[in-house]
Amino acid sequence: MFTKELDKKLKRAFTMGGGTVVVLALVLIFGQNNKVTDVGYRPDQPIPFSHKLHANEDTISHNGVKMKGLGIKCMYCHAQAEVSAHSPVPTTSTCMNCHVLPMKLENERGNPGPLELIRTSYEKNKPIEWVRIHKLPDYAHFNHSRHIRAQLDCKSCHGPVETMGVISQYKPLSMGWCLDCHRNPEQFAVPARPISGIYAYDYENRSQIDKFIGVRANSYDASATIKLAAMKPVVQPSYGMVETADLPKPVVEGMLVPKHAQYGPENCSSCHH
Amino acid sequence: MEQQTNNRGFGFYLKTAILIFLAGFIVLVLSGNYTWFSKSTPIMVLDDMDDQFKVKPQVKSTFFNDGRSGRYPVEHTVSRNGSAYPLDKPDFEKADSLVGSNPLDLSTTSTRQYVLSRGKNRFEAFCTPCHNYDGQGNGSVVARGFQNPPNLRDEVTKAKSDAHLYHIISAGQNIMNGYGDKIQSNDRWAIVAYIREMQKLGVKP
Repeated sequence: MFTKELDKKLKRAFTMGGGTVVVLALVLIFGQNNKVTDVGYRPDQPIPFSHKLHANEDTISHNGVKMKGLGIKCMYCHAQAEVSAHSPVPTTSTCMNCHVLPMKLENERGNPGPLELIRTSYEKNKPIEWVRIHKLPDYAHFNHSRHIRAQLDCKSCHGPVETMGVISQYKPLSMGWCLDCHRNPEQFAVPARPISGIYAYDYENRSQIDKFIGVRANSYDASATIKLAAMKPVVQPSYGMVETADLPKPVVEGMLVPKHAQYGPENCSSCHH
Repeated sequence: MEQQTNNRGFGFYLKTAILIFLAGFIVLVLSGNYTWFSKSTPIMVLDDMDDQFKVKPQVKSTFFNDGRSGRYPVEHTVSRNGSAYPLDKPDFEKADSLVGSNPLDLSTTSTRQYVLSRGKNRFEAFCTPCHNYDGQGNGSVVARGFQNPPNLRDEVTKAKSDAHLYHIISAGQNIMNGYGDKIQSNDRWAIVAYIREMQKLGVKP
């Protein structure tokens, strides 16, 4: 029944069909899965800056040497994240707040190493060209200040930066991933930790401040979840700003007020405006 | 039946190896193994409007010679909504007349708590690397060879006026740089209030 010619044609058809299916499956898996998009992007930076050394406050291993981390809060360098949509990479002058003097490690090894680059950058007034890692499409308007004022920790989106010797992307930053957290913040979001320096004023315990004057705040409970202010549904107009219920009124005029955590908006124009 | 094992050639083993490799690859990737790193920029399949032709914060400019997309303001222009701290490091004597006293309301309990909690948060974020959590110096950066700052709880600092402390936070003193560009004006006053609160505890060894 099958001629040699037909046999050949059928074989070819099956091979090509199977190949197409395999390619389609791979595209669907790699293109659609949240876990694999952009995660693990770790480019070479002009200066081998270690977040582990600067941000971690526990004992760490830096270049094979055990030492205590500096425990500098995220807010020290990325200060404008609290008030602006863009969280800037710190200027060279921020590095020079401390690196204006030679550090102990420099003295031990007898040369400034990569810190030379920071000092020449400062002297010549020429910015260091850091390579950007976390990037949303230009039509998605993410606002850092809004999330920080809702007392979300940096870790929610950037992962455990204080353990990264070289910074890399940890979360996919895809739209599905954003919406996962907007719908179930108590499941995905990390509440503000003391290590980030995010202002999380506890409205219930106003008397605590007297007890903790001059004492290190370390009351972070790792098992804590985002506390939602009110479980009532958020009033959502079809487009435009979300009207939230029960926001705390500013206690002191002109000072930043943290917002109670709420469900994130789900309407398209909240981010694509 | 006799098993025919002899006619398996090189191609069979190659195919099996490729299949096992592919299966392992897919399983590992799908399991979200975050330890796979790549230096190459993420692939854009359809680069629709992801990179729009506009000036974005901290992006290199191809238009200006110095490559800065953020420009310095033209000389003698005044900002409408922001205000840079006008004094330099050594002008602390002018601070008293210029900035005056703490404008934040510390009289009632609720506002005082609010200001202090904010001051505590800002102090811990910006001052602790050198001044430490208790304000007495020997912070984590000092342990690495930085100059130890003065004790914020001793009599010398106590004698300084609020405006002087505000000036030091804004413009700096000795080796310390100013933090006027990082900390908002009201937050700096909150830090001053928090330092005053710490000074009530006195110097502790």
